[in-house]
Parts: sequence; C-alpha cells; structure tokens
Amino acid sequence: MELIGIFEYLYEQLVATGIPQVWVDLISLVVSAVIIFGILALIALFLVWWERKLSADFQQRMGPMLTGWHGLLQTIADAIKLIQKEDITPTKVDRPVFYWAPIICFVAAFAVYVTVPFGKGLIVSDLNIGILYIVAITTFTIISLLMAGWGSNNKYALLGGMRSAAQVVSYEVPMIVAILSVVLFAGSLSMVDIVESQALIYQWYIFRMPFGPIAFVIYIIAATAETNRTPFDLPEAEQELVAGFNIEYSGMKFAMFFLAEFINMFTVSAIGATLFLGGWQGPFLPSWAWFLIKTFGLVFVFMWFRWTYPRLRVDQLMEFSWKFLLPLAFANLILAGWMKYSGWFNW
Amino acid sequence: MTEGLRTEEFQVNMGPHHPSTHGVCRFILTMDGEVIVRAEPVIGYLHRSLEKICENRTYAQCIPVMDRFEYCTSMSCNEVFSLAVEKMAGIEVPEYAEYLRVIMLELNRIASHMIWYGTTALDLGAITPFLYSFREREDILDMFEMTCGQRLTYNYIRIGGVSRDIPPEFIPKCKEFLATVDHKIDDYERMLTENPIFMVRNKDVGNLSPELAIAYGVSGPSLRASGVKYDLRRDDPYSIYDRFKFDIPICHNGDCYDRYVIRIKEMRESAKIVRQAIEQIVDVEPNTGKMVKANFKPAKGEVYSRIENSRGEMGVYVQSTGDTKKPLRVKMRGGSFNQLQVMPELVKGVKIADVVAIMASLDIILPEVDR
Amino acid sequence: MTFEELTTYLTEKFGDKLELLETGKFEPFFLIKKENLVEICEAVKTDDKLLMDFLCNIGAVDTGEKFEIVYNLASIKKHIRFDLKLVMEYKGAEVDSVMSVWIGANWFEREIWELYGININNHPNLKRFLLPDEWDQGHPMLKNWDAPDFKRMPEVE
Repeated sequence: MELIGIFEYLYEQLVATGIPQVWVDLISLVVSAVIIFGILALIALFLVWWERKLSADFQQRMGPMLTGWHGLLQTIADAIKLIQKEDITPTKVDRPVFYWAPIICFVAAFAVYVTVPFGKGLIVSDLNIGILYIVAITTFTIISLLMAGWGSNNKYALLGGMRSAAQVVSYEVPMIVAILSVVLFAGSLSMVDIVESQALIYQWYIFRMPFGPIAFVIYIIAATAETNRTPFDLPEAEQELVAGFNIEYSGMKFAMFFLAEFINMFTVSAIGATLFLGGWQGPFLPSWAWFLIKTFGLVFVFMWFRWTYPRLRVDQLMEFSWKFLLPLAFANLILAGWMKYSGWFNW
Repeated sequence: MTEGLRTEEFQVNMGPHHPSTHGVCRFILTMDGEVIVRAEPVIGYLHRSLEKICENRTYAQCIPVMDRFEYCTSMSCNEVFSLAVEKMAGIEVPEYAEYLRVIMLELNRIASHMIWYGTTALDLGAITPFLYSFREREDILDMFEMTCGQRLTYNYIRIGGVSRDIPPEFIPKCKEFLATVDHKIDDYERMLTENPIFMVRNKDVGNLSPELAIAYGVSGPSLRASGVKYDLRRDDPYSIYDRFKFDIPICHNGDCYDRYVIRIKEMRESAKIVRQAIEQIVDVEPNTGKMVKANFKPAKGEVYSRIENSRGEMGVYVQSTGDTKKPLRVKMRGGSFNQLQVMPELVKGVKIADVVAIMASLDIILPEVDR
Repeated sequence: MTFEELTTYLTEKFGDKLELLETGKFEPFFLIKKENLVEICEAVKTDDKLLMDFLCNIGAVDTGEKFEIVYNLASIKKHIRFDLKLVMEYKGAEVDSVMSVWIGANWFEREIWELYGININNHPNLKRFLLPDEWDQGHPMLKNWDAPDFKRMPEVE
C-alpha cells in the first residue's frame, strides 16, 4: 500500500474546492509539516523506549515493564513528567543564549526532514541540492551545543560544548567526503535521484565494490561521532564531565536536547539508508516500509555500539579522525572518481 | 611567541559528588585546556572516625565497626582485626574455621574485583560490563547471605573463629558457581581485554614505576602490575594460605592495562583457592571455633597484623593495655589510602579522561581512605 | 630472619639507640628516640640485610599519659617485618618527618598532625585533611576529647 496515493487524493480534493493555488500550496505544506513533526515525535519517543529495551536485553535485564505493554508508554510518561517539571534557569547563565540553545537544537533536528524521502514520492520537497541541505542543517546542532555549553556558565558544560564543537567539525569532513563519493556516482545531489540510481540490489552503493563498503563504514563511524554516541560520546561523557553541555538544563529544555539527540540518530540512519542501502527501494513491501526497516536497522547498529564499547579519549578521537579517517575518505573518493571515469563496475 | 599565546589555567573541582570518584573524593584539578597541570586530592568527606569509635568498644564489639572500614570486602576487615586480637590473646582458631575464613575471603575478593571490573568499564564509558559482573557478584552475595544473613557488612569472621557454620546448601551452590565462574570471566575478557578502544585508553596510561610504587606504599594488584612480586598470602602467610597452590600473576609495565590484566587473573586464582578449600574442607571435623565474649580482655601488648586484600595491604594496629576491655588504639590501614596518595604523581600532564581511568585502575574506594 | 636473629642484628647494629619493648612479644617492637628517628629509618632502609623499603603504616597513640608514634615497616625483598616506636610527652610534642626516607609517609603524618596535634617538622604540606576545613574543636583523637553529643557504649560485664 503506497501512502503517496492518499496524499495525492487529498491534494486533488483540495484543488477541487477551487481555492487559490497559493492557499493550496500553503495548506499542503503546513499539513505535511505537521504530519512529519508528529511522526518524528512518535519515532523519537519510540526510539527512547527501544534503546532502553535493547540495552536491557544486552544487559540481561527487563527494562521498563510497568507502564503500558512492556513499558511502551514509559517514554510518554517520562515526557509528561518532564513537561510538568519546573523549568530552572540558574542565575548566572547568559539568558538569551541559554534559552535559545535547546530550541535551535530541536528545530535543526526536525528541519532536516524537508528533503528526506520517506518513500516513493513521500518527500516534502525534492530539492536539487538535497544532500547538501541536510549536511548544512545538521551542522546547526554544533552551534546549539556550543551555545548550551557557553551559556550555562559551568565549566563542565563549557568543556562539553567545546569538545562537541571540535568533534563534530572534525568528523563532518570525512563524512562529507564519504557522501561525496556516492554523489559522484549518482551524478546528483537530489535525494530522490540518489535513491533512483540504486533501483536493484546490486546497485546499492554499499555493494559497489570496492569503494562502496569503505564509504559506508566511514559514514557510519563519522555519523556515530556526529550524533555524540558511544564510543564518541565525549561531549556528554558522564564519568568525566558529569553530563556535559546539558548539565544545567532541566525540565522541557532538557527534554528538547534529549529528543533532538534521538531524532539526530534517526536522521543519520535515514541518510545512511538512503545513500547506501537503496532508500525506499525493495520488493513486495511498500516503499515507506522498506525505508523504515533499513533505517531502524541502522539505528539498531548505533545502539549496539553504544551498549558494547567504551569511550575514546578526546585526543585519540581527533587523531582517529584527522590521521586515519580523513586520508582514507579522500583515497576512497579518488578511487571512486577513477572507477566512475574508467567505467569499471559502473552498472 | 608561545609566551604571548599562553592560555589561562583554570581550576575544576572534580567531586565530591562526581559520578566516577568512587565515593566522595574531590580532586582540585588545575587544568590547561584539557591537560592537567596539578591535581590535589581532598579527602575526608566520608570520615566516620571509626578508629575513635573502636576505642569506645570492647574487642568483640569492634568487629561490626570494622565491617564499615572497607565495605566492598568486609570479610577481610573482620579477618584482619580478628587476626590481630587472636595473635595478642594467643587464641587458636580451629582448622575448620580457618577453611571457612579462606573460602569467604577469596569469594569476597572475587566479588570485590567484580565491582572493580564493572566500575572500571563504566568509568571508561562502557555500561554493559557493569551489569554482567554484578550478575555474578549476586551469586556470591547470595552465598554470603545464606551463611550469615548479610549481603554487605557480614560480621562473620569473629575473634576466635567464625560466627556460624555454613548451611548444607552452601557447598553445592559454591561448586555450581565455581564451575561457571571461569567462563564468566572469559566473557568479561571478551568484552574488554582485546577491545581496541579499551586498549588505547589504558595502555601506557598512568605508568607507575616499581620504585615509585614502593616508595609510596602502593600494594596489592597495583604493585604487582608494576613488576614487584609481593603477595602477603605467600610472603607473609596468615591463616592457612600455605596449604593452597595458586599463582601470583605479575605484569611489568605498571600501566592501567596491566592493572586490569592482573585483577582479571587474580579472580581466576582466587577461584582456584576456593576450589581447593572446598575439596579439603569435607575431611575436616566441623568446628567453627569458640567466639570470645564481649567482656574478653587480652593481655598487654601491641600488634600490627596485615593481610592481602583486593585493594592491597590491609592492616590494623591494635594496642591493648591489658587492664581494660577496650583497645587503647585501633589504627586501620587500607590499600586505597596509599594508592590515592600516588594519584597526583600519575595524573600530571594527562587528560581529564585519564584521571578517571587511572583512578579506576588503582581501584580506590573512599571509605577505606577516610575511615 | 627469625625473631631472635633480627633482634640481635638490630641491637648490635644500633647499640643503645634502640631497645626491644616487652610489648613486642608477638612481633618485634623497638623503642627509639626521636632524635635518631630519621637516621635509623634511613639506615634500616639502606641496610643490605634488612632493606626495609615498604612503610606499611604510621599510627599515633594517646595512652592517656604520653604520645606514642608507631612505624610499621616491612621489607619486600627480605620478607622482614618489625616496628619502631617513639614515646613523647604531651607538651611540645613534635617529630621529624620521615618523608625523606619513604615519601608515602606524607598523608600518614598529616593525619597525625591533624588528629593528635603532634607537630611534624620538615613536612611540606600540613593542611587540613580528614576534618572539615573550618574545624576549630581541637584534636579529636585525644583521649580527653569527646564529641558534644557523644554517648558512650554501655559497659559490658
């Protein structure tokens, strides 16, 4: 069942009412924004629950069990609790910066989804620079983390903010280079074009030997660092920095950071699925189902990392990025370019 | 030019309520960016004045106080005080009670190393190993609970013997535990030992030379990791440790990784000792010893007794005047006290994340430091 | 080295600077004078037959009449253990630091300074240690010191 049919039907009904085209576009945009926001909020809540359940499985525990079926409503209960909490603003903080940081983080996390194709035709706007837009928007997260670190007027928060800025900037580069090698093959920056260029399973970029798997691994590593998850969770290293950049936040502002983190994880998984695993392409099931299966598969990998690995130290993290990952990514890009030029494996 | 670019040093208070200071220890860290220039441990947040409390109690009443001295290995605390008083009063402990003591001490050592394993992994950011090791520790605590009813402060080893015999279901449960513990430790090792991230975080971090270690009085596994083969169970034998065959693992680099390897190996060696003790105890006539009464009064004298605890040498100095029922002085000495003392030397010039790794690898817990 | 060998060796080596205490029947306790403390410590640490390189513990005792300080020493290579003891009057109690011999004596001596009020000469870092920074109620380990709300244990018959 392709969901796009429903949306097309609704759109036609809207046009048939005879209101001006500007209003039609506006209404359809607002509706799709609300739908995506709702779905993502649900996904974020689900991911929080899933992470807790998965960690419980890895650790031979039960995890949340009491609220709802197998604790399914636990995150909702938590969210309600966080909304009810007093929103504490410490006296010595830089107020505007402190106030805006979680909002920017939250908005940036959602703004990415303008160009993420959830299924065949299920995309808000197929920008011709789709992937560039995504890369640019995700960088906003750093600004918010820096703002949170600086605005909190707390040394641990500052260290956390600085660490995250350094980390995200360093890992952005190999990640973009890895993405570039895919873009090079697809010949387009549009997300839809990239997905359509991998219609058959052997055309998925992860199976394009030999550059594909390397680019995929680089992307996964860099994405883990981008989303500040173990083994690269230094900005919020509990054992060193207590809580890192969000140490002074409470109530809903904390919840915004928290949810944005899970949204970001979903984002990088969605982009990974789109770029390397053929996006919505797949037999039998509807396209949006394939997209979700692949994305959640990648999310599972990220969670798996988190509950298995210890954490790197900050200088080792930088070294790994600049001395190993980046040269590898560039070499891989050259390899991809040569493959494209010579026409080898160019199916 | 570099002088002009000099950045300002700043101070970070790590603790007293910090997730990874293993209790309530505070470090005043003078930092240049993320690099530590100076570190000063500030202790005393957990000071309960146990030594003063002991001076106000009779010898038998001191044992529960000793439990609180180092609550991860309460059995050792009981043992070290009992040894001191037994030596002073010339009390003979029956063989059966000695076997029970060894079994309990070694199980407690394994349990303590399991806490160490879990918290070390936790301090390095890996959460899962913590729950794995606590799962096995639970088995040990169950055994303790069925023996003496307590799970943390046992009050089991008393002056003159042990408080009660083990229940009949103890031996089968213990055998079952010993049959699986090696595989469980293999599991632990699979998670961390060869893990590249774990290795890069621990190798060549916090190198402690044998000279420095001895000068600072560092003892136990931390000393053996530096290449000094010194284990009180063999070198200054107490109880009946000379009857058991076990190895003393030793490493040579003295870094955090070696301290990790030593403790993992020690868990296996302790299991070996318990296995032998369980085999031998069936031939011994059950006699848990005659515990001294609360009004017991040893002769005038003074003794410093020491045993090998999981955190190094645990000692207690007891002085008796001979005419009161209360000790004149009880001075406790824990391994962590000296290990924490050497910390400022080890953390100079490392990153803040390494402070956590080093502290975890030295296995410092604060009740033992503050007493 | 057995008990007797050790005692004869030490008394021969140091002569009247050192005296075996009668309380040391369980393990050798030697009484020394505080003027000789650092000298003797240095000597036992460097002596080839003793090599007392490991300082187990330093404990102060308030006997109700005098102060005592006990040094528990051990040798890692030779597996010897014995103890040194100082006795001093309350008034003007002071002792030289043995940090020049075993650097690990640092915290032990700080503790003695703080809890007993015995002054440690040549100690680089005599600061508040176990007690709160603003502590002004004297030295709690002294026998004549009791906490204001302290309740004694009932006597055992």
